[in-house]
Amino acid sequence: MKRTTTIALTALSAGVVLSAGLTPTFLTSTKQPAHVSAPAAARRASGVTTIVWAAGTISGNGLRQDMVNHFEKLHPTIHVKIVQEPSNTNTTRAQLVSEISGGATSPDVYMGDVIWPGQFGSLHLALPLSQHLSKSFFSRFAPGLVQGASYKGVVYGAPFFQDSGFLYYRKDLLAKAHLPVPRTWQQLMHDSLVLQHKHMVKYGFVWQGASYEGLTCDWMEYLTDAGGQVFNKAGKPVMNSPQAVKALTFMRSLITSGVTPKDVITMQEPQAMTAFNDGQAAFLRNWDYAWTNSQTKGQSKVIGKVGVVPLPTFAGHAGTGYATIGGWNLYVNPHSKHLAADLTFINWMTGVQGQTILATKASEIPTNAAVQRNPQIRKLNPVLSIVSKTHLIARPSQTPQYPAISLAIYSNINAALAGQVSVKQALQTANSQIAQAANKSGL
Amino acid sequence: MRLSKLERRSAIAGYAMLSPAMLVIALVTLFPIGYSVWMSMNTISSTFTGFQFQFSGFKNYGIVFHSSLFWQTLWFTTMYAAVTVVVELVLGLLVALALNQPIRGRGLAIAVMLVPWTLITVISAQMWGYIYNGIYGVLNYVLMSIHIINTPFLWLGTPTSATISMMMADIWKTTPFVTMILLAGLQLIPSELYEAAKIDGSSAWNSFWRITFPLLRPSLGLAALFRILQAFGLFDLPFVLTNGGPGTSTMSIAMLAYQAIFNNGSFGPGTAVAVVTVALVILLALGSLKALRTQVGEIDT
Amino acid sequence: MRRRTPQIRKVVGYIVLVGMLLIIIAPFYWMVATSLKGNLSIGNFPPSLYPHHPTFYHYARAFTTYGFGVYFRNSVIVSVIATVVVIVLAALASYAIARLPIRGKAPIMVFLLAISTFPQVAVISPLFLIMQGLGWLNSYQALIIPYVAFNLPFAIWVMRTYFAGIPKELDEAARVDGAGVLTTVFRVIMPLATPGIFTGGIFTFVACWTEFFFALVFNSSQNFRTIPVGIALFSGQFTIPYGTIFAGSTVAVLPIVLLVLLFQKWVVSGLTAGAVKG
Repeated sequence: MKRTTTIALTALSAGVVLSAGLTPTFLTSTKQPAHVSAPAAARRASGVTTIVWAAGTISGNGLRQDMVNHFEKLHPTIHVKIVQEPSNTNTTRAQLVSEISGGATSPDVYMGDVIWPGQFGSLHLALPLSQHLSKSFFSRFAPGLVQGASYKGVVYGAPFFQDSGFLYYRKDLLAKAHLPVPRTWQQLMHDSLVLQHKHMVKYGFVWQGASYEGLTCDWMEYLTDAGGQVFNKAGKPVMNSPQAVKALTFMRSLITSGVTPKDVITMQEPQAMTAFNDGQAAFLRNWDYAWTNSQTKGQSKVIGKVGVVPLPTFAGHAGTGYATIGGWNLYVNPHSKHLAADLTFINWMTGVQGQTILATKASEIPTNAAVQRNPQIRKLNPVLSIVSKTHLIARPSQTPQYPAISLAIYSNINAALAGQVSVKQALQTANSQIAQAANKSGL
Repeated sequence: MRLSKLERRSAIAGYAMLSPAMLVIALVTLFPIGYSVWMSMNTISSTFTGFQFQFSGFKNYGIVFHSSLFWQTLWFTTMYAAVTVVVELVLGLLVALALNQPIRGRGLAIAVMLVPWTLITVISAQMWGYIYNGIYGVLNYVLMSIHIINTPFLWLGTPTSATISMMMADIWKTTPFVTMILLAGLQLIPSELYEAAKIDGSSAWNSFWRITFPLLRPSLGLAALFRILQAFGLFDLPFVLTNGGPGTSTMSIAMLAYQAIFNNGSFGPGTAVAVVTVALVILLALGSLKALRTQVGEIDT
Repeated sequence: MRRRTPQIRKVVGYIVLVGMLLIIIAPFYWMVATSLKGNLSIGNFPPSLYPHHPTFYHYARAFTTYGFGVYFRNSVIVSVIATVVVIVLAALASYAIARLPIRGKAPIMVFLLAISTFPQVAVISPLFLIMQGLGWLNSYQALIIPYVAFNLPFAIWVMRTYFAGIPKELDEAARVDGAGVLTTVFRVIMPLATPGIFTGGIFTFVACWTEFFFALVFNSSQNFRTIPVGIALFSGQFTIPYGTIFAGSTVAVLPIVLLVLLFQKWVVSGLTAGAVKG
């Protein structure tokens, strides 16, 4: 059943491509740019294909329409209609799950979280892109991203923009106290204590410690840096390791030492950001957007006083720490009736032109490796200039059970941070709950 | 029994007039509930061509009853319903007794009290979320200024405090509704009864237990029933205020069903949760039928 | 001694009332005050207890950037239509139950009361599939029809009591004069039962205005969101724009507060008659 549908879809898309007379390069193996044949096709084609793109707001409202306008100019036979996704990721997911699982043909293309491929792949909510696009298409992306968009060896999403954790710091305070920008976690703790001791700032370091997905992100960074893993190579949960104990003990010590306020166990991004923007904290762990956010008039008191570096590492390690991968992919609805147009659209959006617009106008991190490396782009803002230095780590999301696994992680880590249970106890419980979660479905 | 022609025609008209309302109710509630039961007994898989149903008996119920999360949300919802309803009844009765006196500003007080009831729960949840905030919440500020606490309290930070915070937000919003029902009940108690009690030398405390409480029992029962059944549908408040957290400690049973169906795409087990909830609600309603009977008893007379 | 007891009771009554009113009003005050503050002072601690430089910036943003006007319009359309339909259908059904010789009145009433508090989650997935099949997701009828069904029972419950209280001679006279049942209901009975109709209407309107679950599941696209869904989704992935949320909330609360204050007497008397007297 599944296979015949896929074949039918492939045949259908091939038919559409042929009849429309446009042959996007990435469907074949020629190296000619995709847009070359489009104007010719425009003249020949009798009508315009309209595809619906469901997308969340990307840093400001105008950007999506801007990109679409550019795309439509190059592809006059394709009209892209933007549909607003809810701003809340889980609500977006709920909406897409219910629509697409019921067979809706719209939206044709949708923006979705990087952690969705496991679930969306297994529920057939996303088109297996790697069955429709050549290998060369995927070579444009920065390393690690394609694997993150895959489930069981099949690629379901085209990375659209990347995100990861960074360390934001108050350069004015560090300069005044003659302290170095921390390269290790221990240094960060020391810097904070000095600044707090001198009453230069109320809190040292704020981050995301609330019981929610964001804590899983933060946790992955400490865990990986300490040398630990959630699953080992054989797929067995191994989160009660000595390395995990080291990571969690350190996180807890941030709170017990007073470097991090104990409120951190209720902090998500907005609360941590507000504390930092209000000048109450010297260090902040946050995503890409925090740079622009901290430099926006009317919502920040620390404009011009902020620096950004890759996250620190544990003392004794060389280089930088790890940063959890976030960001968004473009997925194609498997029921879409305009497959060729969908793929053309994705090709342009992740191509050099689309990604350049994304980086320049929205200061989002491009997924296209060539654009990411471009010195012009890297000059745009400090975050873009250090992207290539970060070590990325993906959350263990290559399974449909990821939501339950993440729940097991963040609820137990949160309990340990709150001091309700011991570090060892929390990790033990987490590990057994992860094992349980990985084995069942649904609830 | 011999029906006159007019009566027979009236009866026909009666059924005709009743049917549109009953039809809409049946279509939107009864039929879907039946369908829910059917869905809960199928393994529903999403394929490229839409949903596929495969009859699987009670398999989904097995999944539900073996899920620790289900028992946890059921316990949370039950406990939440019990505590909020009891507190609301006590507070509501207190306020209703205060309002049941000829005091000045009574009309205004009643009007103001109706306002939280009309408030969109989502708004109330956002409002309380901001008030409870651990970093910049005004509640901590107020409590610290009057030296009840010394350091900011994490209202939504731990399972217990988050549960209590949510209950307080609920009690704030719903007590007025309970008060209204009880006030209405109080006003139906003939004042002669109190006069007579006074002449007998009965104290206020005594007349409350001898007259007010017994006569108010139907109203109390009705308010309790309404609120308990409502509480079993608890969704908006945790969805916005805590999103079920920390962890899953404030996740209600309706949230669990929503999450299973719409976030995880598990239609079968999710619907099974919903059906179990309905069964519970029906049992509760049957259990409280006595309270209902006192309400309905007079209809056919 | 005996004389003073009512005095003490009165004083205690006042204390309870004032305390309660303060507790009710304080959060509202905080909401409105925050909606008038600038972004910089919203995250302040200690918070400023009133807006030092009041601004309508958030109100403007709610309507321009966040499309609050659309949500408001949708809420009005859905709530008004549902309320009107409920009143008409409930008037017919209530009259039938109150006056006409049909069987099983008591079971019908119990059934209605049970339905009115049914958990929505019980019907959500089948209704969702039906709406999807009909292509009704993101449409007004997707909300109006369920709202009518879920609010009819309570409206019937309230209105029946009022109808029962109207002297039978009135409609008997009308019918002897040759008026049909419908004419009797709409021309004779309903004008006399205005308070009951208002009570049923206000309860329905408030319920529709505040409903969240169906609205979230059926109508989550931008153009069909009602106020509760719109406000719940104001928050971005990494941001909670409290100022804008509270500006929208203040606007959403106003009409309904006015409505309730205006019809205050009917709301209370409706509850008195409908919920308790039987």
